[in-house]
Amino acid sequence: MIRGVIIMNDQGKPRLIKFYEFQPPEKQQELVRSIYRVLCSRAENVSNFIKADSLFGPDVRLVYKTFATLYFVFIFDKSENELAVIDLMQVFVETLNKCFREVCELDIVFNFYKVHTILDEIIMGGQVLETSSEEVASAVDAISRPLSLSLSLPLSLRVCVCARALVSSCEWVLRCNRHLLLQLSLRVLEHGAQKYLWLNSTECFFSSLYFLLFRFV
Amino acid sequence: MGSQGGFGQSKEFLDLIKSIGESRSKAEEDRIVLREVETLKVRLNDPNTPKYKLKEYIIRLLYVEMLGHDASFGYIHAVKMTHDENLLLKRTGYLAVTLFLNEDHDLIILIVNTIQKDLKSDNFLVVCAALNAVCRLINEETIPAVLPQVVDLLGHQKEAVRKKAVMALHRFSQKAPGSVSHLVSNFRKKLCDNDPGVMGAALCPLFDLINADVDKYKDLAVSFVNILKQVAERRLPKSYDYHQMPAPFIQIKLLKILSLLGTGDKKASEQMYTIVGDIMRKCDSTSNIGNAILYESICCVSSLHPNPKLLEAAADAIAKFLKSDSHNLKYLGIDALTRLIKINPEIAEQHQLAVIDCLEDPDDTLKRKTFDLLYKMTSSSNVEVIVDRMIEYMISINDSHYKTEIASRCVELAEQFAPNNQWFIQTMNKVFEHAADLVNAKVAHNLMKLIAEGFGEDDDTADSQLRSSAVESYLRIMGEPKLPSAFLQVICWVLGEYGIADGKYSASYIIGKLCDVAEAHPDDDTVKAYAVTGIMKIYSFEIASGNPVDLLPECQSLIEEMLASHSTDLQQRAYELQSIFTLDARAVKKIMPMDSTCDDIEIDKNLSFLDGYVQQAIENGAQPYIPESERLGISSISDFRSHDVHEPSTHALRFEAYELPKPSLPHNIPPVLASSTELVPVEPSYVIDIPHPTSAPSASDTGSSELKLRLDGVQKKWGRPTYSSPAPSSSSTDLVKVQNEAPRPDSASSSKPKTRDSSYDSRKQQTEIPPEKQRLAASLFGGSSKSEGRQPPSQKNSKTQNHTSDKSRSSKASAPDTAVKPSQPPPDLLDLGEPSIASSVPSVDPFKQFEGLFDFTQETTPASTGGVDGASKDSDFTSLFADMSLSAQSNIDPNPESNGLGGSKVEPTSPQLNKGPNLKEALEKDALVRQVGVTPSGQNPNLFKDLLG
Repeated sequence: MIRGVIIMNDQGKPRLIKFYEFQPPEKQQELVRSIYRVLCSRAENVSNFIKADSLFGPDVRLVYKTFATLYFVFIFDKSENELAVIDLMQVFVETLNKCFREVCELDIVFNFYKVHTILDEIIMGGQVLETSSEEVASAVDAISRPLSLSLSLPLSLRVCVCARALVSSCEWVLRCNRHLLLQLSLRVLEHGAQKYLWLNSTECFFSSLYFLLFRFV
Repeated sequence: MGSQGGFGQSKEFLDLIKSIGESRSKAEEDRIVLREVETLKVRLNDPNTPKYKLKEYIIRLLYVEMLGHDASFGYIHAVKMTHDENLLLKRTGYLAVTLFLNEDHDLIILIVNTIQKDLKSDNFLVVCAALNAVCRLINEETIPAVLPQVVDLLGHQKEAVRKKAVMALHRFSQKAPGSVSHLVSNFRKKLCDNDPGVMGAALCPLFDLINADVDKYKDLAVSFVNILKQVAERRLPKSYDYHQMPAPFIQIKLLKILSLLGTGDKKASEQMYTIVGDIMRKCDSTSNIGNAILYESICCVSSLHPNPKLLEAAADAIAKFLKSDSHNLKYLGIDALTRLIKINPEIAEQHQLAVIDCLEDPDDTLKRKTFDLLYKMTSSSNVEVIVDRMIEYMISINDSHYKTEIASRCVELAEQFAPNNQWFIQTMNKVFEHAADLVNAKVAHNLMKLIAEGFGEDDDTADSQLRSSAVESYLRIMGEPKLPSAFLQVICWVLGEYGIADGKYSASYIIGKLCDVAEAHPDDDTVKAYAVTGIMKIYSFEIASGNPVDLLPECQSLIEEMLASHSTDLQQRAYELQSIFTLDARAVKKIMPMDSTCDDIEIDKNLSFLDGYVQQAIENGAQPYIPESERLGISSISDFRSHDVHEPSTHALRFEAYELPKPSLPHNIPPVLASSTELVPVEPSYVIDIPHPTSAPSASDTGSSELKLRLDGVQKKWGRPTYSSPAPSSSSTDLVKVQNEAPRPDSASSSKPKTRDSSYDSRKQQTEIPPEKQRLAASLFGGSSKSEGRQPPSQKNSKTQNHTSDKSRSSKASAPDTAVKPSQPPPDLLDLGEPSIASSVPSVDPFKQFEGLFDFTQETTPASTGGVDGASKDSDFTSLFADMSLSAQSNIDPNPESNGLGGSKVEPTSPQLNKGPNLKEALEKDALVRQVGVTPSGQNPNLFKDLLG
């Protein structure tokens, strides 16, 4: 399983710390410091892997990668594949890029809450949950969308947002459960759009579209 | 800039982050953060703070804690926030508590109720948030509180929720395997979930479960092979592709599972050969993820029953890895090589140069991995080179953890493969010199025992050679400063025991040296104890042999100092030494017999020789002895406890089975008299630890036998190779020394100091000379070809086919009629179309069926896939994953077990279904579409036309 994910900058300042087994705060700081020490001592153009059994116990390795000023560190045990973890990291960064548009360190500092949300969609309880960055981005979208929609936007605007979300996450929408969509779309037609838009606007909107296509094409 | 993420932090927060970023020292940063903490304390406790503000404060609190400051005052606010109705606030609350609290925290109890409620929520986002929290916050005690809800969610309509529910269950089974053991079948069921993502999620728990107990899941091997086949053939939706590879993460997980299932199981392995071979061929070795799969396949091949073809492919892949410029790939290549040489030792030879390159690489990780490889491929022919290299590296690093590891490996290899005594002792000296305090104390005792016992064979000259060479080397080394304590102990013991044995050194010389050691380490009582006992032994040997003895002045002062020592142990030893001088030769001979460390001392455990004395005392009115146990009965509990610490084996609860009664040891009476004349001076605390021949029989309580390490085995291996190498590899360099069963003439002559020295030096030189890698390679790998492979690769290929066809035939027989519609075994996968089939086989284990079905699908023609025309192209797979939310409509549920699951899901949805006027018709069409493919995208527009008219 994956033991933890740490993002820190090249000065050793933590930007995100997430352990999937509880570590007391002092221990976290200590680990960040010792990992930073190890990372600093690594030359360039060497492998991205480090044996971390002195920090975390037998058979634990960590994979790190630098993106601009940031170190991304994944700590995991032997049930994961090192190279695949590098790709997982890639997925994570790609998703960040999608969510923040040209992600930089500041984005992550200011929005570490959102970074946590993104990470939660990729890794859950130490296991890899999702590895498609589109999927993750749209899931995160779904989480943050109701907020921005419920914040007293006029209905027309909400529909606009829905439409944009629909276009951007077409692939995802295609894969979501059509049964539910159908059901929803019927009700949307019955009662009008407003009532269900807050529930899951993207889906609602799509379902009505889908339904229409389905019926009349 | 940063706020574009849309989570809307306030200016205050931005300012905080900025000022922290700009702070020049840690102290300044701390001041800023502490001020922030004060502000947050006030604001959080203010009842008038609006909720959306509260959310931001919690986030700021998280930030503060991430920087290493105490935020515990705000935990309760985070908990409160989880109760909020607003999803975002709730999520923030959950995130905060998952980061703040451990699962045993008192506040968790306040959250469990909320989690329960949220798991039942209509909004799947709330459910997801709760599932996330469940993974982190629920401990063994609270699992039952949420378990039913989580199990219900396995049947949720949203695949995201199902996926997370599977993960949550997995987490439970990690934390408390007992609590969910009855739910394991759910994981199996989820394997055939209609969403590939959920299937992929189910692989995680299955991997762990299989890892724990392979035999229970052997039946799934076929299913895994089939799933992997379908994944590799790109039957999954395009969205699962990553860098043009079809669902690579799922492939890797599956390969991992297959290698577990195939380990040591020829039958299972044979089923996997084809698909693993296919995958290796299809891998795109230009992309990172392609290499990840390739590497995983090699790992899989190395744990399957050996197959020559696959091994060859694996070897090719390894060659590619090793030749690559990327350090990552080299690392994986070395790792894969380490796995493969277990099966085929010759394989390393082709890559010797690459391996040497890696050994000299500046990359530490790679170097360590290479040492792992060398450790695995050590044999008697290359042990010298490898151990020398390891020691060299050990000396060069500072990381004490890895130093310990590599030191113990050196010791292990030296014990196993040492070509001769001198080399062994030299090696041990080097290891001890640099890492003695890091290696296990037992290693030191092993070394002493080895020197004491020699080969354990009848050749005395070899033993005495060994000893004198040890004495020789120790006398040379002991002058060096900063020797580790454990090493000094060994030195003192050996000098005391054998310092004057060969008559080369005078007693006073050795005693002087020992006094020096004791003086040089005034703080180390253990070393001093060893030294003084060494001195005592030498004196008693002298007295016993009738030589005139004069007490050296420095020895005299040492004794005087020790008589006043705070350590009672040292005092006692000093008194013993003093009293030796008052005895005559005969008595001393009796107490301290020469060279008797290996003799068994028979101990009269009953102390029968005291019987007369005791009898007399009782007659004179003394109290009879009351056994300890009876005395303890009346003594206080604290007494009992302190006693317990000392003799756990006699009074503590015993968990191991009772051993056979030993007639010679009726009571565990400590060997009173013997301990004072122990030859090995040790601190009383680890007396049992000493695998000392004299103390072994007496102190043999339950534990001592296992504490003695694997000495005996080591001895045998060392003295006489237990395995027969076909030809004592005479290959190439002189470095290669063969394990000698009897001492060879040249090593016999080397007992004289000079020759031995030179022989050692020349050997050393030669290891240093070949910086040209060729030489090194030759010495590393030259011998490995000669050593026999433990598992010659089997050539039986034909059996594979036989077996698989057998299997499919049998499965056909068992499920011919059920297989009309492939892959619908679990009841909730039932389609509307075939209710009769499903209800006809309620008693059959769905998974047996599933297996059969999988096999069957390979042979059945696409036409047999029921009424779905044109679906032939991806019939078996798509129907496997065919959406099955339709089951909501069907009231047929043949399997009563799943009623709880399916039922709860079905009820709420069905009334809604009936609302629309032409809903049913639409649904049916939808179902058809779903049977056709998971993604009714542009791929098959014709189909749509056909179906929908």
